[in-house]
Amino acid sequence: MFGRLLRGLKLATTCLMLLCVFTTAGAQSKIATVLQHGTSPLVTFRILFMTGSAFDPVGKEGVAALTASMLAQGGTRTLNYQQIVEAMYPMAASVEWQVDKEMTVFSGTTHVENLDRYYGLLKDMLLDPGFRSEDFTRVRDDAANFLKVSLRQGNDEELGKEYLYNIIYAGHAYAHHSMGKIGSLERLTLGDVREFYRNHYTKANLVIGLAGGYPESFVQKVQADFVKFPEGTANKKRFDFPKLSAGTHVQIINRDTRSTAISLGFPIEVTRASEEWPALALVASYFGQHRSSNSYLYQRLREARGLNYGDYAYVEYFPRGMFRMTPDPSLGRQQQIFQIWIRPVEPENGLFTLRAAFYEYDKLVRDGISREAFETTREFLMKYGNILTQTQVAQLGYSLDSRYYGIPDSNAYMRDQLSKLTLEEVNRAIRRYLRTDRMRIVVVTKDAEGFRNALVKNLPSPITYNSPKPKEIMDEDTVIQVYRINVKAEDVVVVPVERVFE
Amino acid sequence: MIITVAVLLCLPIVTTAQQKETQLFPYKYTMDDLENGLRLVTVPTDYPNMVALYIVVQAGSRNEVEPGKSGYAHLFEHLMFRGSENYTSEQADTILKRAGAESNASTNADRTTYYETFSKEDLDAVMKLEADRFQRLKYPESAYKTESLAVLGEYNKDSADPTSKLDEVLHATAFKKHTYAHTTIGFLEDIKDMPNQYNYSHQFYNRFYRPEYTTIILAGDVTRERTLELTQKYFGEWKRGNYVPDIPAEPPQTEPRSANLSWPAPTLPWLAIAFRGPAYSDEKKDKAALDLLAPVAFGSNSELYQRLVLKEQKLDTLYSSFGNHPNPELFTVFARVKDPKDMDYVREEILATFKRFTDETVDLEKLDATRSRIRYAFALRMNSSAAIANGLAPYIGLRRTPDTVNKLFALYLQVTPEDIRAMANQYFTENNRTIVTLTYERAKN
Repeated sequence: MFGRLLRGLKLATTCLMLLCVFTTAGAQSKIATVLQHGTSPLVTFRILFMTGSAFDPVGKEGVAALTASMLAQGGTRTLNYQQIVEAMYPMAASVEWQVDKEMTVFSGTTHVENLDRYYGLLKDMLLDPGFRSEDFTRVRDDAANFLKVSLRQGNDEELGKEYLYNIIYAGHAYAHHSMGKIGSLERLTLGDVREFYRNHYTKANLVIGLAGGYPESFVQKVQADFVKFPEGTANKKRFDFPKLSAGTHVQIINRDTRSTAISLGFPIEVTRASEEWPALALVASYFGQHRSSNSYLYQRLREARGLNYGDYAYVEYFPRGMFRMTPDPSLGRQQQIFQIWIRPVEPENGLFTLRAAFYEYDKLVRDGISREAFETTREFLMKYGNILTQTQVAQLGYSLDSRYYGIPDSNAYMRDQLSKLTLEEVNRAIRRYLRTDRMRIVVVTKDAEGFRNALVKNLPSPITYNSPKPKEIMDEDTVIQVYRINVKAEDVVVVPVERVFE
Repeated sequence: MIITVAVLLCLPIVTTAQQKETQLFPYKYTMDDLENGLRLVTVPTDYPNMVALYIVVQAGSRNEVEPGKSGYAHLFEHLMFRGSENYTSEQADTILKRAGAESNASTNADRTTYYETFSKEDLDAVMKLEADRFQRLKYPESAYKTESLAVLGEYNKDSADPTSKLDEVLHATAFKKHTYAHTTIGFLEDIKDMPNQYNYSHQFYNRFYRPEYTTIILAGDVTRERTLELTQKYFGEWKRGNYVPDIPAEPPQTEPRSANLSWPAPTLPWLAIAFRGPAYSDEKKDKAALDLLAPVAFGSNSELYQRLVLKEQKLDTLYSSFGNHPNPELFTVFARVKDPKDMDYVREEILATFKRFTDETVDLEKLDATRSRIRYAFALRMNSSAAIANGLAPYIGLRRTPDTVNKLFALYLQVTPEDIRAMANQYFTENNRTIVTLTYERAKN
């Protein structure tokens, strides 16, 4: 067995060298497919349902997530969950799940030697779930503890970001965390999960993604099995651009913590499907490429001033950024956001840092980006696509995303779009989409009232350094320390942490 | 003049049945030692166009031997991005940006790893850049002080997570002499003192950023000829050092230890039960045997997990941690308990499980399933040139050769149920044990 495993790995690399990967959307079948067949010994599954937490009924927030977790972390009708774990164990395999607003995905990779065994389990988990009450109690507890303990009390920066998403979409179907609300999770029943499964896990909502060295006949087998899902009708609900009241609004989460975390953002009309997408993607990369020192904001806040560990900007929802170097696939949405993520700072520098982020953002909006920055960032992005799609898993995930957005699936497409892009188009997109009139800000800090008072009264926030700074920085600081964040007193609210995600 | 000792180690893809069963790392690779002690490991893969450059320095928080100087290996990971004689940090950033590179670094107890993944046409420029900072790092005191604040920022970002503190207290309790007593990020008071230690920082660099501590891994669309040429060209003049840290041996533990930690924010209680374990070895069975036991006793399909997590649902988290280290480290089981009143019960159940495997032998079928799991887990991870280099880096940090991966897996195949019971008896003793709990306690105002 082991020798075959080694030879298989060799074949995998040969396959990639020959570029034998292809993508096809299955036209002859009712079930949509994205297939990237090769001779890799690894077979990757990505079973996508076009449903998610935006389809949670009011009062039943969390049912989409519980349904998915019941499938991925619960038993089938014939095997209990312990037996599934036992069967997966020697294969080092598992079924992962992710629920976002409009997408739910089940994913996993197996060595081709184990394909039949793994697939048999995966198929039954999705098509023939056991819906046992003991599994339900466990996954519901896990969901509630994730929100109530891990996120609310154990990770300030992820807390700040997730709460920002909540308030940007206040009153919108995207408003609640994809895991649900703590109160509604406690009320959900197994009957709710069964109903959600029945209504949303349908052929019409299903896209099968497969990559790697599966046998040619395997696709037919999968199709024949998954055709057993009920026909259903595709979720075609349109999610409107969120209606936010004018002005900057700030919510300060009061929590006993040693540092201050800041996130800010607002909704934008642009998605990967938009003509202006390459322009805004370039802006985000220039201003705050995720986890990279090669970005403007990072250079100004961390490198020049040592305020924190990092500062980033996004033109898409980017959850779990603390743990990810590249964006997760299967987060496709009709509505997107612009976001700035300021990693935790010392509390005494909290307001200064928020002002500095505003100062730099306003400068970006006012001045646009320079030709040199444009050229360098474009050069970066044209090559960086190869980094994003290094693995079979990533290739398949991003291909499914491209299908959702209705754009061609290849790095060549993005390179082509970037090569045609002009500086003028980029700066026009900045002026058009990067707004300042409906900014939403979340701060997590222990002295929320003090922060609020300083912000509302526009008190100066001078900063001291542990080393001499260039005159250019000192001069800039004199501007930043009194930089006005235009916000009305009634729009700055202190939120006890116990109320978040309720 | 550089004399190159080229050692060509081609691992056969198709070979005898016995070899097939014992080799895990499937790629052909070469190792070249420069006269100055620098080692180059080249792993050509067939993933087109991309190159992964991983530079492993065998210096981590374990090397921080002076009191009050915890966290300097990690600080150095940061300082290496602050410019060198021939490149300011801005110039270095621009080169990497134009290369479309993913660039970062990481530090742990035993090593610091710098990595870039980029297109093959940028190999020369990136190697030249890397060589400069490894040989001629240059940062003014002001940049040093600023960067020490970024380290504090990194401490801050993790400070809300109770497991960071749990791990810190666990190590400080279990180790009294050895440098594993402190975590890689360092103690907060040492981090706060970093801005005052500019001169010490130079000393740290001069000690450990030396060719004899360093191995370059180049994986991807590369040839040995090219990687060797560039390594000689840019790293050939690097001067060998002469510092060997006097890392104090931890004396045998002679009593069970414990610590209780109160946490000011509402959290579910945590429990960490640790036993001093053996060091990494690809020759002795001690660690290999306990590596195989860890998932059997505490993994997701263990009897304990199935009972406490799935059936009784007393826990929402249960996992073991037992890394590979050059010196003995901890075999730890972590548990997050749903209801504080179950803490004693859970503690006794975990201890009973440790005890159980000192009495009983592991079922052979389960042991074989575990070996299978380890093999497939490794194979599933090797899905890009960067993943291959990344998978090798920890082993390079330990033994400076990919061959140790195969030797270790050969050892796994030899371990018997009786070996596991013997090692459990040797290491899971009461005097070898440290228990730390973390529970919520409202702050008194």
